[in-house]
Amino acid sequence: MKRMVEFIVNGEAREMAVDGCRSLLDALRDDVGLTGTKKGCDVGDCGACTVLVDGEPVNACLMLAVEAEGRSVETVEGLQPGVDRLHPLQDAFMRHGASQCGFCTPGILMMAKKLLDDNPSPTDEEIRFGLSGNICRCTGYTKIFDAIKSAAREMEAARP
Amino acid sequence: MNMTTPIEQREFRIVGKSVKRDDVLEKVTGEAQYTGDIKLPGMLHGKIKRAAIAHARIKAIDVSKALAYPGVKAVLTHETVPRVLHYGSPHPRSASCTRDQYILDDKVRFWGEGIAAVAAISEEIADEALDLIEVEYEALPAVFEPEDAAQPGAPLIHDVGPGGNLVLDPVRVSRGDIDKGFAEADFVLEGTFSGGRPHPAYMEPNVCIADWDGSNKLTFWTSTQTSFMVRGILAEVLGLPLTKVRVLVDHMGGGFGAKQDLFQHEFLCALLAKETRRPVKMEFTRHETFVAGRSRHPCRIWLKQGFKNDGTLVARDMKLVYDSGAYGSHGPGVTIVGTTAATSLYRCENVRLEGRCVYTNTPINGAFRGYGVVQSYYALDIQMDEAAERLGMDPADLKLKNVVRAGDIAPSGHPIIGHGLEICLQHGVDVLDWKALWNRDRTPDPKRPHIRKGWGIGCEMHGSSAYPGIKEQGNATVKINEDGTVTLLTGAAGLGTGAHTALAQIVAEELGVRFEDVGVIHGDTDVVPWDIGAFASHTTYLVGTAAKMAAGKVRAAVLERAAMKLQVSSDEIDLCDGKVFVTAEPDRSMTVSEAMGPSRGIPAANIVGNGTYEPTKSYSFAAHFTEVDVDTETGIVEVKRVVPVHDVGRVIHPIAAQGQIEGGIQQGIGHTLTEDYLIDKKTGRSLNAGLVDYKMPLSMDMPDIETIILEAAPDPGGPWGAKGVGEDPIIAIGPSIANAIHDAIGIRFHHYPITPEDVLKALREKGA
Repeated sequence: MKRMVEFIVNGEAREMAVDGCRSLLDALRDDVGLTGTKKGCDVGDCGACTVLVDGEPVNACLMLAVEAEGRSVETVEGLQPGVDRLHPLQDAFMRHGASQCGFCTPGILMMAKKLLDDNPSPTDEEIRFGLSGNICRCTGYTKIFDAIKSAAREMEAARP
Repeated sequence: MNMTTPIEQREFRIVGKSVKRDDVLEKVTGEAQYTGDIKLPGMLHGKIKRAAIAHARIKAIDVSKALAYPGVKAVLTHETVPRVLHYGSPHPRSASCTRDQYILDDKVRFWGEGIAAVAAISEEIADEALDLIEVEYEALPAVFEPEDAAQPGAPLIHDVGPGGNLVLDPVRVSRGDIDKGFAEADFVLEGTFSGGRPHPAYMEPNVCIADWDGSNKLTFWTSTQTSFMVRGILAEVLGLPLTKVRVLVDHMGGGFGAKQDLFQHEFLCALLAKETRRPVKMEFTRHETFVAGRSRHPCRIWLKQGFKNDGTLVARDMKLVYDSGAYGSHGPGVTIVGTTAATSLYRCENVRLEGRCVYTNTPINGAFRGYGVVQSYYALDIQMDEAAERLGMDPADLKLKNVVRAGDIAPSGHPIIGHGLEICLQHGVDVLDWKALWNRDRTPDPKRPHIRKGWGIGCEMHGSSAYPGIKEQGNATVKINEDGTVTLLTGAAGLGTGAHTALAQIVAEELGVRFEDVGVIHGDTDVVPWDIGAFASHTTYLVGTAAKMAAGKVRAAVLERAAMKLQVSSDEIDLCDGKVFVTAEPDRSMTVSEAMGPSRGIPAANIVGNGTYEPTKSYSFAAHFTEVDVDTETGIVEVKRVVPVHDVGRVIHPIAAQGQIEGGIQQGIGHTLTEDYLIDKKTGRSLNAGLVDYKMPLSMDMPDIETIILEAAPDPGGPWGAKGVGEDPIIAIGPSIANAIHDAIGIRFHHYPITPEDVLKALREKGA
């Protein structure tokens, strides 16, 4: 049974008919066509599908698309502040080698964005805790921690 | 490669620098396309019906209800697919493969094996149709442990092979005189060791898409480390010439070795697409990546070694049994590599080794980072620590005394180049002030008396390339365009390690152009040169050398052309940073673009260089120094700090190399303390096939890692001495943790994972 749902994705209003049981993840990937958000488990264990819904991190595989009605969803595709410009986190992930296979990267970037939105200069422990729902199997996290700390410093320095 | 071949020295412009990885830009923006991101018009979804029994004959299978289900387009069973016996690990140049698989068989050999496949207009419909397939089994007695499978009279899992559930004939290696060695020993240590079933748990579940065109050509997207192997075996089994199979892989979400099999779902996807004449996608659930993926071989090891009182090792007798699971896959390779590796690491003249690989009715074990050596070196390194304890020696001293050195015969049969392991070990001892650490006061902190601290050392060595098991070949094609930019074509897969960036660095360095002027084309078997696959820590070493050779040819041709334009002889000019100049008069110059473009009646040139390299093998080395906290109340072992010291020869991209080491340590900590894919010993069912119940180290669990990379023993077989790094860290970390636990609580564990329950039980038994 399809239902109409309206929500905002990366600042753009979307309207679509979705099955009541369709996850936000499948809707984003298959209906909206934003495949940056990844499906690593589809049961909320891995964090690869982390997106921000009204600014809060959500495993998109655990949320129904219809639950996004009237809400604002941010995905990795919306992270760049402009064409040819990277978010400081994206730039820091590149410089520090924080992404290897890259499959966890979109989810971790969104979780890191939330972390820095709430807490502009997190401690090491706060970063570790903040990422505890995101599995990365390649990097040992070391370079992810480095990148987040580096981005935090840059964002702090850029603040008026 | 001849060990006397000099390694070219030069001032590097690009090699050794952590240049920006192009692939990472796409990954941080979400634009990187993985196989699962591809959607083709009219695409169907395939799903596999999996057996709910570990060992059985299929007496009857009825798919009529599934076929009649609205939205279902095709159903395949063993009665309707080609019956071709094929390899699981399809290395065409390897003698160590086992041909023991059918696409679908009338026999089930493990719980979760595919027995039928459905294509439907949606994943949900395909899933629902699976439940409509009716199967009647004749149950067969099953065996889940290698000990049971190897017993005379045990139920046979395969008709092929040497019999007795052996995957291959026992691997026997001997050197020197074992009896003489033990006769000379002042004391003998003997112990049994065992390893669990860690799973690679790459983040991207296996996925493929098949699409046939009107000329009966198959285009096949798949997440694989070995695209040419996939092409070869798909073509063989489907009865097609290689021109009719095109395999594509762009980004892939990890593999760690385990994505180099030819999987059952890959054949089924191709056949479903053929049957329906529509593209079909098959994507594993996370549960399926466990059940139908590949894990590390569980292992049982018996190890007996003789020592002199001065610490000299005089005899090593070792028996290893690897559990292959239901099919051979990489069992032969793992058994040969893991067994042969035990000839080395610590010097011993008298060695006798026997490795066996046994079928069981459990999910298939395959290639996984550390390939058999994780298991054998765990035993060797722990027993070396025990010998130090017996001798009252600092383990660092005993290991330093015995580690292999230049000229010693490596497992491959070649003399080892350089003193890599000794230098790594000594370096760690120096930077940590190990003597002081080892001789420290071990009294627990009175504020936390239940926490015991320990330090341990783990040593390892590992080959770059699978030689001599596989006669490897690396290929590269380098083209230079008329504007002076360069294209590298490589078949090497991009697992996420940064290999393509390293290859581009090598090409830019050798050719004399800027790094950003080199583009890399990969992942299309119709376009790129043949490649053996990305495994065995060999891409930089093997394909890197081929790329350097190809770039060197292009450089020579560019110099010829520029010389003609500059009206000098080609040996009077040089090429650097995209500029050609007369060596004696650097102002007389032109850009590569000017050299390559059309001018004064000379048309643009088509300059292409090919490089083909057939290596032997180099060895990389590492010593890991690890600190743990053992909580004697909960049994939890926390890894606090790791100082990994690695020799990888010439470092091409430091950050990427560090990333390999740190990631390997993460996986190795998991293997040693928490990770074990469990199979029920009564039914063969998977007990923890998911990311919550299968416990991997996450961000909160990671220690401080202070990576040290030394260019201690460059190998002339790799580009400017570069060697592999991917597998080494996962081998050294395990024994370093086990040895650190012993240092903390005085208990020797001979197995992994060492769980909190194991620690508490052992503490109770010790009466602590």
